[in-house]
Amino acid sequence: MNRLIGHLDADCFYVSAERVRHRCLRGLPCGVLSNQGACVIAKSYELKAKGVTTAMPIWDAVPLCPDAVFVKRDFRWYKVLSRRMYDLICQRSPAVEYYSIDEMFFDATGWGWDETRALQAEILHGIGVPVSIGVAATKTLAKLASDLNKPFGCFMILTDEDRRQLIRGIPIIEVTGIAKRSARKLEQCGITTCDQYAAAYPRLIRKLLTVKGEQLLLELGGVPCFPIATRRTTHKALARGGSLGGATNDPAKVAGWVYRNMERLVEALDHHLMFTEKLTLSLQFREGGGLSKRASLPEATAEFHALAQAGLHLLEFCWPRSVRHLRVEYMHVIANRLQPRSCWQRGLFKAKQTDSRVTAVKQSINDKIGRFALRTAATLPLVEMYADDTNDYDICDVYGKTCF
Amino acid sequence: MCQALALQLDDVPDILHNGQRHRRYQREGIPELRFSFDNRNPELPVIYEGQFLILPWGNKQRRARLPVTGWCAVEQLEAGQWQWLRPDAVTIPANFGCEKGRWFLIEAGVRGILVQDDSGTEHVYLLTEPATHYYEIMCRHSRMPALIDQRI
Repeated sequence: MNRLIGHLDADCFYVSAERVRHRCLRGLPCGVLSNQGACVIAKSYELKAKGVTTAMPIWDAVPLCPDAVFVKRDFRWYKVLSRRMYDLICQRSPAVEYYSIDEMFFDATGWGWDETRALQAEILHGIGVPVSIGVAATKTLAKLASDLNKPFGCFMILTDEDRRQLIRGIPIIEVTGIAKRSARKLEQCGITTCDQYAAAYPRLIRKLLTVKGEQLLLELGGVPCFPIATRRTTHKALARGGSLGGATNDPAKVAGWVYRNMERLVEALDHHLMFTEKLTLSLQFREGGGLSKRASLPEATAEFHALAQAGLHLLEFCWPRSVRHLRVEYMHVIANRLQPRSCWQRGLFKAKQTDSRVTAVKQSINDKIGRFALRTAATLPLVEMYADDTNDYDICDVYGKTCF
Repeated sequence: MCQALALQLDDVPDILHNGQRHRRYQREGIPELRFSFDNRNPELPVIYEGQFLILPWGNKQRRARLPVTGWCAVEQLEAGQWQWLRPDAVTIPANFGCEKGRWFLIEAGVRGILVQDDSGTEHVYLLTEPATHYYEIMCRHSRMPALIDQRI
């Protein structure tokens, strides 16, 4: 029996998730707004039809669609529905890849149209989210099939003729893994569509787009190269951060954000059972430009106090007193060179020991009462941010995704 | 603040459907009633003592000896500045609110107060509170409606 892979993609997932709990949004042009309430991060098909695009600021979207209703994002809720979809597919398939919050690959070997449509209907009626499903011999073809048949599409590629019809004339940029730069390189060789790409000379593609490009070519030809990853590969780096919720040059607030992001980074390190050897702090300023600095730690650690001190040290270099007039708009802290806690290289010099009991108490309280219920006092200036519960949960807090 | 509210017709008692033709609106084909303070005689839907009513919104036309506005700041109410009017708490049911042309979702409704003028006519004022950063960015206003069990 030929192996088949299914790709399930929720249609305008964030909007659909909002419609599950707010029936009044059904059928209306609706946009979900970003963390700051400024940009559209998800749009309904009704809103898309008016010309509103993802990442468009609300003030540009409203003139295009004055009747549009905008909703605040709630990643906690989206995760709940995402997990429900995942659990439901797990009941139907022996191998499921949690690709992203709204996309999953699954083993569909032996499936026919009936099983595929039944899954689609079950998710719609049981969870309330419309999904599109593509089934093919490879992940790339399955994803292309579901993407090209949205919304609420269901498409199976069972024969070579089906495959040829699917990829014929489709712009190569539609293939996940071919970004604009790669597309430009291919265009210079006269390759602009998927069928041209699939028929190209593999060695040429490898030369242009490395072995990844060659694997995509094979996948488009129906030869599976990418298996269903039921577990995420080990992270090479972990990052936390983002917008500061309005640019600021208040040193207490900026330092508060270093602590806040560090608390989240430590949480991620703990979740993945990792230590970090290097720490990077990256800032972007409202006035333009930015600075990024990296520091090596005395030894690999996930200890909050050590990382926070390193972060503040880096802040002095990224945002020295001479440029304190610049307002910090975005901040990221990145743990580089990760080491698994089961097997890690100790430092040559004994690092200063801090009282881990405080961290343990903090963690146990937060586990019981809620995330960030007990947090470092240095984050007190971030009043506005902590006043809003939804800030406690971001898309990167949805663990287990194999993509992003 | 909140210049207008919309309530889908499905959420309005049938008995009140008549006489609301002037505020009926089709949003992508879905009928709703719109209540805007820009109207000459603005009104608001209210749930008061279990009844669904439509009452004058504030005192725009200066017809009564009441504050000439449609909104009441929560801080003022708590400071007792409206005490002389003996306000009663009411719920203003709505699905969507609008400020500066931007419609946003309202989950459970908005808090309001009901007061009576000298003639005994009831008026409703929409309660407002300082806007969250999110609302301020979204609607470009420093105050927002006092939403029930919801934070934008």
